[in-house]
Amino acid sequence: MIYKLLEKFDQHLAFDTAKAHCDIPCGIYDPITAQINALTVVRMIDLITHLENTHKEHDADFMNSMSRYVAVKEEHAEKAKHEIRVIWGDYIKAPHVEKHPEIPELVHKIMQLGSKSRQTVDRDTALQFVEAINQFAEIFWDTKGIAIKRAKAPYPPALELVYPNL
Amino acid sequence: MLKIIKVTGDSLSPVYNDGDFVLIAKIPVCLFKIKTGDVVVFEHPEHGQLIKKVASISTQEGTLFVIGFHENSMDSRHFGAIGKNDILGKVIWHIKKTA
Repeated sequence: MIYKLLEKFDQHLAFDTAKAHCDIPCGIYDPITAQINALTVVRMIDLITHLENTHKEHDADFMNSMSRYVAVKEEHAEKAKHEIRVIWGDYIKAPHVEKHPEIPELVHKIMQLGSKSRQTVDRDTALQFVEAINQFAEIFWDTKGIAIKRAKAPYPPALELVYPNL
Repeated sequence: MLKIIKVTGDSLSPVYNDGDFVLIAKIPVCLFKIKTGDVVVFEHPEHGQLIKKVASISTQEGTLFVIGFHENSMDSRHFGAIGKNDILGKVIWHIKKTA
């Protein structure tokens, strides 16, 4: 209640701020980058599958498109893993793990699913990758005391993502 | 004299988080003498108004070594000890952000 009151005052009076920043500009953590990267992995698998089903001749055009899709899939699976590692390593603290003891296992699961998504074109694996990162996002926003909502991404493959309900 | 300050950034997380408010007692106030472990707000010439924890005090030199809780915190480990005169106040009340 006191916080809400101060927040209202702040909107009108704009209290002075004191920065608790880290290496510039620390404090900017958001799992959405990892979520979008994982979504891209699913999208690339869909494009790979579609190309394989519609392009009977494996000509230069086919090879060119296929290699680009595979490269993007590789890159984004690795980027998603990187983003999760940064939040895990730099942001998550002991009290967060105490409250959410499932985090270490979840992070490990994300790493494994990310690797498998690079090795294969298994859509189910990629979907699990997206969902595991969604679960990580739920925990992340809970540590910030911010409510979440689930909504379909407004672009293909239109999978459900976790967003902060601001 | 008292003043309300809003915290930005996460270097004092998870104790002080981005968006929290703190009430500081502006210095000098004998009742609120600064000691090791206190959290203070101070003015840094390059980084502006910062909030950090006091790790140690050198009474001889009149300086304080301040740190964040985060390993990547931008604090005295990077810019050295701060002068007592740079301190704007000591946190005497912490109002945590609520959902």
